[in-house]
This record gives sequence, structure tokens and C-alpha cells, in this order.
Amino acid sequence: MARERETLDVDVLIVGGGPAGLSAAIRLSQLAKARGGEAPSIAVLEKAREAGAHLLSGAVLDLSALAELLPDYRALGAPLLTMVGRERVYFLTEHRAIRAPLIPPPLANHGNALVSLNQLGRWMAAQAEAAGIDLFTGFAGQEVLLDGQRVIGVRTGDRGRGKHGEEKSAFEPGVDIHAKVTIFCDGVRGNLTKQLRRTLALGQGREPEQFAIGIKELWEVAEGRIDTGTVMHTLGHPLRHEEFGGGFIYALPDRLVSLGLVVGLDYHDPLFDPHVAFNRFKRHPLIARLLDGGRLVRYGAKALPEGGWNTVPRVHADGALIAGDAGSFVNSVRLKGIHLAMRTGMLAAETAFEALQRGDTSAAALSSYQTRLDGSAVRKELEPVRNVHQAFGHGLVPGLLFAGAAMLTRGAWLGDLHGDAGHTRMRTLRWYYGIDLASPAASRDVPPDRVLTFDKVTNVHYAGTAHDEDQPAHLLVHTEVCTSICGTEYGHPCTRFCPANVYEIVRDASGAPRLQINASNCVHCKTCDIMDPYGVITWVPPEGGGGPQYTGM
Amino acid sequence: MILVVAEQRAGALNRASWEAVACAQQLASGEPIAILLPGGGDAAKTLADAGVGEVLTVQDAALASYTPDAQVAAVAAVIAQTTPRLVVMAHTYQARDYAPRLAARLRTPLVADVVAVKGSGAAATFLRPMFQGKLVAEVAPQGDGPAIVTCQIGAFRADGVTKGAPAAARALSVALDAPSRQTVEPPFQEARQAVDLGQAERIVAVGRGIKSQDQIAVAEKLAAAMGAEIAASRPICDNGWLPMDRQVGSSGQTVAPKLYVALGISGAIQHLVGMKGSRTIVAINKDADAPIFEVADYGIVGDLFDIVPAMTAEIEKQSH
Repeated sequence: MARERETLDVDVLIVGGGPAGLSAAIRLSQLAKARGGEAPSIAVLEKAREAGAHLLSGAVLDLSALAELLPDYRALGAPLLTMVGRERVYFLTEHRAIRAPLIPPPLANHGNALVSLNQLGRWMAAQAEAAGIDLFTGFAGQEVLLDGQRVIGVRTGDRGRGKHGEEKSAFEPGVDIHAKVTIFCDGVRGNLTKQLRRTLALGQGREPEQFAIGIKELWEVAEGRIDTGTVMHTLGHPLRHEEFGGGFIYALPDRLVSLGLVVGLDYHDPLFDPHVAFNRFKRHPLIARLLDGGRLVRYGAKALPEGGWNTVPRVHADGALIAGDAGSFVNSVRLKGIHLAMRTGMLAAETAFEALQRGDTSAAALSSYQTRLDGSAVRKELEPVRNVHQAFGHGLVPGLLFAGAAMLTRGAWLGDLHGDAGHTRMRTLRWYYGIDLASPAASRDVPPDRVLTFDKVTNVHYAGTAHDEDQPAHLLVHTEVCTSICGTEYGHPCTRFCPANVYEIVRDASGAPRLQINASNCVHCKTCDIMDPYGVITWVPPEGGGGPQYTGM
Repeated sequence: MILVVAEQRAGALNRASWEAVACAQQLASGEPIAILLPGGGDAAKTLADAGVGEVLTVQDAALASYTPDAQVAAVAAVIAQTTPRLVVMAHTYQARDYAPRLAARLRTPLVADVVAVKGSGAAATFLRPMFQGKLVAEVAPQGDGPAIVTCQIGAFRADGVTKGAPAAARALSVALDAPSRQTVEPPFQEARQAVDLGQAERIVAVGRGIKSQDQIAVAEKLAAAMGAEIAASRPICDNGWLPMDRQVGSSGQTVAPKLYVALGISGAIQHLVGMKGSRTIVAINKDADAPIFEVADYGIVGDLFDIVPAMTAEIEKQSH
């Protein structure tokens, strides 16, 4: 018996309960309260079981947007862990750490706070709920509902489907949520924003999106290793000049240390493995000394948009707005995006509110969002550094020189630098290594010692990730590529760029490769959807509630 | 006197009832123990044969199928007749359903989900987890009435019960005060009966080292010889070589059998969390560095296809 699909009508639907979505929700309720009268109905969809559980960041928070959204944030108990204290920047060689004599201005974090984005997200969700907003946690947006070119809402994922798509006893079809305005805050490489970009050509005339992957661990370190509030950034080892990225170490209260490595998802070497690089980072004496005698508490990974202002797509359409990481609003020079997510969420809310009042939610009416962005601190911060990530595409030294020039000239540049989509930069084995490797071994791997360094499977355990095993795989892969050409061309890079061991090549008795997808390991970082050189992997949300359980990350 | 309330379903005694008996024996410093089995039947004889104390039964049509009303009425009436000092039961789904109601009816304290007992006799206190197991509270019940204590499953050892000469079973006559307000529906069942590996005493588990589906027969033969259930790590169930309800680990079942034999399982942490509570772990793996050997009591580094058939043959020889 086909069950009736339920529908729900709201004025504003916000997809994604991260800093962008929750800021939008809070701002909307503030505007409604200030106006008085009947408040618009607002719903927020969040795929994590609990608010904040899928959020991952360093995180150093620029407090400017929070102060604008909730001026009395301290009285409301915002979970700021500590203010930034001592700051250090190092250039690492394999064995040495060379301290930069001064902190480059974009990396100066005085006045900023160290936070756990999970805690901040949970706290913001509580503020939104206190304002009477319905937060639907455990519900993922599966597809955008369109009426021609007009976005009319979102369909949530079915629940209770078995491994082969069959309806289990507890099957419930997804719900259609119809909204006058839908604000897409589905994060980096959000599946709905991706669908929207493709259907409505929102990226036309913009630079290709650029991404990086951040791998992070939370450690409890031995007494006296590092002062609370210390912020360290590193360049160099374990990355080579051709690889963009760097490390971070943030000292939180209670001997907790957040450390991670960010690597551009535009590397050339098909055998490069970000997780192996992360382990090499931890083996560096500077980091190994800090962690010696400590213990791993949590692990996680997440992609982040790095492309900057020129890669921001058109962020308005009929009935739709895009905010936060979904719209690539990240300052990759300052390594910050939370405050921009909040700010764009607030501006999207103001736009939606005004459009609702006028009774016109067309693309033309919603285009005032772009005007608002252009006049805001978002553009002021992002435009001067718009070319910097693209410059790093030419290597570390040109990138650094360019970053310095951009700073001095405040971005006054004759033209724009162009970038390529990161996955197109991956070289074939033959090109990169000059030989035809039938089955290459990971060349730069060192076995983990299970004290300082861990294998991916063990790390995944510390992400707390869980999915119902009996559900369709949420990674859609055209696997004929895996068995035919990928092995010889790229040596199955999915097994390396995935930080959670989702992809495994198993060989049958005859030695023929078969892709095994351990979908339940997935930490929702989206790297595979971004970096696969053939573009044959599509990440779709698993059954709502599944995924990592980040706490304190 | 300490009264243990045992539990049965479809005539079979719930194994956890023995754990409640073990708890009661620890609490009794020389005082007698009586065991109440609502509904009576064959299970009463099983209890009486063990000789752990007098077995009391209450028979009434209303107790044929469990309802909280009838259960509370029957147990409350027996408590009134026998005036025990403490009432002990296992923290089963049924106990969770009716124990609070029973305690409210009798206006007595309820100490739920007890994991350990400190001391014995009247001075005994109870340890129970709080805040999802982050803290352990030590509880001393107050008041006149008999405190009701429910024991967490697995906290007391059923095989630690001291048995004696077969005891008598006595049927009590109890008038159930009011008709039950609940109607009985057929007990809830999953569409397909899932295997409850948690109840298995012996488990033979296979991992990726088994290589192919036809080779699982090697492990199944060993399991048959040992009287063990067959289980697996995730890759095996992922491949559909064994059904998903055989999976042990963080995304499968958590088991704690007396004997766990791991064949070709490397011991990823996701698997270990599901089985490390096993009493004795035997691991067979080719890789001497496999993490499974860190939790194993006995380990054999070698080819399971050589070792397992030899083990099977030896066990079969012993049992003939």
C-alpha cells in the first residue's frame, strides 16, 4: 500500500542547522518580534540527530557577527571556551620548526575566541528554540522541489528503507515541506545547493568552486604542555610546495587541545592521502612532544570552501537564497568562515522577511540579498583576498608572495586570477610518476602506532559515526570506472582521499578489483563528492539522524 | 525474608531471573529467600529443583498473559501475605513496566537498575548508575515497607547462584482485587525473529580472513561442534555472506558470551567494543600484529584453514 506523503506549509524553510541556518532563524524571529503581528512560520531542517552534532571547525571565532546577532551573547551563556592568548606561526621542515618573527596580519587572532562549533551550534539552536522556532533534527533534505524555475520547498529523506531500497516494516515516506522562501544553509558542498546550482546554473560566469579538507582531532594532553588560549598555525611539512594547506593547534581549557591539518583538494599526486599527511604532521617533533602522554578524545573531518569571493555562486533564485558554506562564504586567508556564515544567514533572513512582507519572493525581489551582501562586511572582507587561493594554485612560494601583495594593495589588482576545479588538477599515475603502475602501493605511508597515530578505521570510531546498516548506500558511485580504468589511471584515489575508510578496493580470487563502500563509516565530509577525478561519486544524505556524533569538536 | 520475583514468557523462565536470585543471595545474610513466579507452571519446577529457596506461585487466569494491572495486584498481594524485607527482580522490560507502579501502590522505595550491592543484611546499600553511567550513586532505601530492587541485566552472575537440595513449590491463593484495565494483545514480534546473540554462551565469529562465502562452512562446523552461535564482523555481513543480525560490533550487537572464538578477525575497535566483555576470547589470525591479540586470552598466529578443521576434529573426538 502506497502511503500518503505528508506535506507541511511554512513561510520560510531553512535547510541546515549550522551557524548560517540558525542565525537566519534567530534573525527572522527578531524581525518578526520587532514588527509585531502574526509571526511568519519558520522551520529548520537538520540532518544530525542533535543540533550541532555534524558541525566541525577549528575553531577560532571572530565575534563580530555574534555580537550583532545577539548583543548580550555573554549573558545568554554563549559557550566561548577562552579568548585567544599567545599566537605563533611556524614553518615546518621534516624535523625542525622555524618560528615566524611576527604574526602575518590575517592570522592575528587577538580579540577572537576559541570555541567548539558543536557547542556553539547547540547553544544557537537553544536560542532559536527559545524564540519559538521549530527545529527538525534528524531530518535531511533529500531534494529540492521545483515548479519550473521556482523553488517551492524541499522533500525530506524516506525513513525505513532497506539495503536494496525495499520498504521495511517501519517505512515512512519523506515529507514535502513547502515554503514561500527556502534558505539553503546545507553547508560545504551541500547536496541541495549542488542540485540547485546544476538545475538553475547558479555558478555560471563565476570561478569554479575550490575546496580543502580539514582533518581534526581533539586531545587531552599532559599537564603543563601548552597554555590555554595558545593558537599555533603551521606551514610546510608534511605538505610539499605543490600542496596548499597547513596545520593548526588550539589550546582549549581543561588540557584539551584541538589540532588539525587542512589540505587543498586540488593536489596533483594521485597517491596523496590527507590522513597519512595528518599522521605525518602529528609525528613532527613540535606536535609529537605536545601530544606525548596525552590521549585522543575525538576525531573528525570536513571539507571547507576555499575559493573565496569570485567562486560565490548566484545566491538567489525564485523562492530561494543560499547562505554560509553552501555559498562558499569563507575567508581562506584568515582561515575563518563561521562569522561569515552567521552574517550571510542574517542578511538572507532580512531579505526573506522583506520579501514576505511585500508578498513577492521572486528572484528579482530576492536579489536585494546580493545588494545587501555587496554593502556588507562580507564583501569588504572577501573581495580584497579574492585571488589568494587561486594564486596558491601555482605553488606555496607564489601563493605567499601573492597573499602579501594582496594585503599591501588591499586587493587592488588589475584582473582576476582563474582557478580550476580541484579534481581536474589530479594527475594520472603515468603523468605524475612517469610509469604505468598496475597496482600502486601507498608510497608515503608509515604504519600507525595506535598511540600517537591511528589508522582510519580506529579514527572513525572516535568520530562516533553511526548509521543504520540496513539502508541503501548514500554514496552513489558509477562503479564500472573502478573496475575498468581507475586502477591504472589513478590507482583508486577514493581509498586515499576519504578520511573515514568508506572506500575499499577488494579483489576477488582472480585479482579483479571491486569497490566496497563502507557507507556507515561516513563522517559526511563530502570530500569524495568533490575530489573524485571522474566525478562519478555523488553524496546524498543517509537516513536522517545518521552520521558523526561530534561533541566538543 | 527476601522475595525474588521471577519472570517467564510462554512457559520459559527468563534467564535474568537467576541473576536476581544471585543478587538476593548476596543480600541475605542467613535469612531465607523465597521466589515468586506469577503464573506458575513448569518453570516453577525448574526453580524449585535448583533449591535456592521456597518457590511460591500464584495462578490466575488474569496472569496467563502479562498485564501490569494483574502483575501488580498479584505481587502486591504476595508481599502483603509474606511480608518480605526486600523484593528483588531483574531489570527486564517487564520490570521497567510494572515495578514503579508496584512501588507506588505499596508506597515503598524503588531502587532501579542496581549494578552492585555493598554489604549485606539490613546495612546493605545499592550502587546504581546515574547520568548515563557517568556517575555511580550509592543508595540506602528508607522507610518501613520492603524496598523494591531491580538488578541490571548482566550485573550479577547467574552462574554464581548457590544451589541446594530441591525445594518445595507452594501455590498461594490470592484474590486479584480488580479486573485488569488492559487488554492483552499478541506480544510484539519483529517480522523475522532476530538472533539474540546476547543470550549465546559460546560464539564463533568470522571476519574477512574467511575470504569467501563457501568457506564460512569451516566456521559453521566448528560452531556446531562447540554448540556455538555463528557471528561475524561487518565486512562479512556487508557482503551478504551472513545476515545482518549476526553482526557483532558498534553497528551490530554487543555480546558477552563465556567463550568467543574470533576467526580471521583483525580486531578493529568497532568490533572490539561489541565483544571485549566476553569471558574468554580465542583469536586465530595470520597477522601477529592484529589488534585482536591485544584483547585475546588465547591467540594462535596461523592459517585458520589449517587450525579450525583440526580444532573441530579434536572437539568432536572429545564429545564422543
